[in-house]
Amino acid sequence: MENAVTAENLTVGYKKPLISDICFNVQGGKIMTLIGPNGSGKSTILKTLSGYLKKLGGSVFFDGVNAERVSENDKAKMLSVLLTERINPELMTCRDIVETGRYPYTGHFGKLSKTDKEAVQSAIDLVEIEAFADCDFSAISDGQRQRVMLARAICQEPKILILDEPTSYLDIHHKIMFLETVRKLADEKGIAIIMSMHELDFAEKISDYTICVKNGEITHNGKPDDIFKDNIICELFDIPEELYSKYLIR
Amino acid sequence: MSSRKIRCTISFAILILLTVFVLCMNIFIGSADIQFSDVMKIIFSDSANDTAANILLKIRIPRALAAMILGGSLALSGYLLQTFFHNPIAGPFVLGVSSGAKLTVALVMIFAASRFLTINSAVMIIAAFVGSLLSLGFVLAVSHKVQRMSMLVVCGVMISYICSAITDFVVTFAEDSDIVNLHNWSMGTFSGTTMDNVKVMAVVVFISFIGTFLLSKPIGAYRLGENYAQNLGVKIKPLRVALILLSGLFSACVTAFAGPVSFVGIAVPHIIRAMFKTSKPIVLIPACFLGGSVFCMVCDMIARTAFAPTELSISTVTAIFGAPVVIIVMLHGKKGEI
Repeated sequence: MENAVTAENLTVGYKKPLISDICFNVQGGKIMTLIGPNGSGKSTILKTLSGYLKKLGGSVFFDGVNAERVSENDKAKMLSVLLTERINPELMTCRDIVETGRYPYTGHFGKLSKTDKEAVQSAIDLVEIEAFADCDFSAISDGQRQRVMLARAICQEPKILILDEPTSYLDIHHKIMFLETVRKLADEKGIAIIMSMHELDFAEKISDYTICVKNGEITHNGKPDDIFKDNIICELFDIPEELYSKYLIR
Repeated sequence: MSSRKIRCTISFAILILLTVFVLCMNIFIGSADIQFSDVMKIIFSDSANDTAANILLKIRIPRALAAMILGGSLALSGYLLQTFFHNPIAGPFVLGVSSGAKLTVALVMIFAASRFLTINSAVMIIAAFVGSLLSLGFVLAVSHKVQRMSMLVVCGVMISYICSAITDFVVTFAEDSDIVNLHNWSMGTFSGTTMDNVKVMAVVVFISFIGTFLLSKPIGAYRLGENYAQNLGVKIKPLRVALILLSGLFSACVTAFAGPVSFVGIAVPHIIRAMFKTSKPIVLIPACFLGGSVFCMVCDMIARTAFAPTELSISTVTAIFGAPVVIIVMLHGKKGEI
């Protein structure tokens, strides 16, 4: 598999550098997770990759092409996001929301072709939201909404999917269902997935590769087996050892 | 056909019929009693220059057309502002856009009167446009500072009061035979519109309407918020600038010809959304225009006939019908939204 996302000596931050010299490769079909305390810079990295923040140095490559040379519309066909912000649209059904993912593919007035409608339906089927697809978006639960937003991102037919703490406010059932869909996307569609997470137990099991971010620094990176070790986790989250063994028996 | 499409088709049919019906009512009904057959004769044959013909061709028809065109542009101005601010209680009147335009137009009119210049419609529109953008500039500056949507509206109302106060002040001290009309105009009225005015406003509003309609795809993506829209490939900055300029132009056109008209811009988009049960811009843009036309024509008919020969200012009537809609919207608003 080709490298879908490559970062070379990437520097990120709001105007002044926060984290420098970030390097990684994520291949299609692989899941990379970012873990670390609140405010460590995980979101800053994700925002820079998805283009909301200007990078302050280094380069990002999508499918081997420098991200700077990719037009807005082509980027939209390549990369989609699921953000932490909650949207509050008016009078839109879940299907309407999913359909917005076809934006980069439709003509000037946004009319959906047959192919577009099929893509919408297959996204809806994949995340299993058909049951409430025609309900108003404001009438469904948080867990269901997050699935709808995932369907919207999939329907954009991206090669890269960036998820910012996608499971944070879901209950355990929805967390597991959501992550299972994410795994399926990587395995079946070959999408490269980059995601920040707070649930270490899930992160360990779903990641192919993990980056630890703390105080504007990448402290560790590697395969989950090498990262999810007691001493590394204690240090990353500043947890005293006795409390770690008291609350987080692994 | 899905039930949604049927609903849209029926709603459009109702709106178009209503527009035609109310336009005819506006032409047939008035304090001067003109028979239906006479109206037909005057419109379809170039009849003699009698009083009835004059009333129809020089007063009623231009006035009805002005209410139709300007009502539509007010509704669209409100729709664009609500889209821009993601705020259901935004509108050109409550955000002070109309009052800003009123102030600049009043200043230009007084300046022209003092120099014995006559000003044409284009100058009026430009003056109003500048005033609209100035007010919008203030509101935008404030919107970066405040998080709560209600604060934004409060701020707009304050700007509106300041502009109105300055306008009243200027008008009071500029009392001059040339600007007798200014007082009526500053209250908002469609009376005194000439056919030449109608031609100018039709051109300006038509161009702005096309511009707005062409933006329906990015506006559709913008419903999910800026960040998602940007991810879909929408160029956010140009879109935001276009939304502001178009809403300013729509409301400038109204203020230049009819003065400030309240509550149409804020209320009509809500009525239309409730009627069509959708937020798709490609449907809402033409529907809001038609809805605004009907709303304004009905209000203008009431304004000029209810207590004839005394005429109410148009805002008196639009407020009576529009303000309750806004209250309902606020009561039904989702928690934390307003």
